[in-house]
Amino acid sequence: MSDREFGGSNDDLSLPKATVQKIISEILANDSGIAFARESRDLLIECCVEFITLISSEANEIADKEAKKTIACEHVTTALEQLGYPDYIPEILKVAQEHKVQQATREKKQNKFNTANMDEDELTRLQAELFRSATEKFSNQPAE
Amino acid sequence: MPLANVGNAPGVAEGIEVKTKFPVARIKRIMQADEDVGKVAQVTPVAVSKALELFMISLVTKAASEAKSRSSKRVTAAHLKAAVLNDEQFDFLNDIVSKVADAPGGGGNAAKTDNDSDEPAEPKKKRGATRGRKKKVADPIDDE
Repeated sequence: MSDREFGGSNDDLSLPKATVQKIISEILANDSGIAFARESRDLLIECCVEFITLISSEANEIADKEAKKTIACEHVTTALEQLGYPDYIPEILKVAQEHKVQQATREKKQNKFNTANMDEDELTRLQAELFRSATEKFSNQPAE
Repeated sequence: MPLANVGNAPGVAEGIEVKTKFPVARIKRIMQADEDVGKVAQVTPVAVSKALELFMISLVTKAASEAKSRSSKRVTAAHLKAAVLNDEQFDFLNDIVSKVADAPGGGGNAAKTDNDSDEPAEPKKKRGATRGRKKKVADPIDDE
């Protein structure tokens, strides 16, 4: 079993073995009987880290060319296309879209009760409003 | 008129569904281990995580195929190597797998020229000990 980093990286950055093992099992779920040896799983993890590095590097270059300091999702999808993984793109766009929706919902919830800059009057008003709407919801519920 | 189609993402045709997710924070750290990589949008590691999932599905299923084509239920590092060598998409992994010994048989083009290491790769301690099966190097070799 190799515990050494053959990639020569300074950080011991890798992926959690248990997580990777679980994913392998999910991938091979329909293939009963086939299992990955421990050495192969570890080798696979190295491959995964290499893949991440490959994509990041390419995406970073693309962002640079656009004079962008932050690597965005679009840079990643372009990188995938250029590196020969165009078939991954639709799924990724889907995931990115879901994430955006989640983000918007998260932010909305945060801003809804952003009381940081409110003065006492506003706070009192907000409180009254919250009580009112809560009472309303309560009285509108069917009796159980 | 048929739609232009880049093909399905890995795993779709086989109905493979992966539920477990990679740790997004870890992926971000691996990305930023590269000094050139600066800031990364929040959604970006999520996108890379998805790409990694698809990559894993592709590599794992191909490695499993290599194992099956050699009548093995255990996917070894050698099978993983064969999968890498047999697909252009995985060219960037050639260095990583070069340290592994080739698997005999199958239909692959075992590139023996890459083995510059003197050690016979990971000494397969389990080789032969697993289930007492003797089948091994004695496999009929197909490549010509």
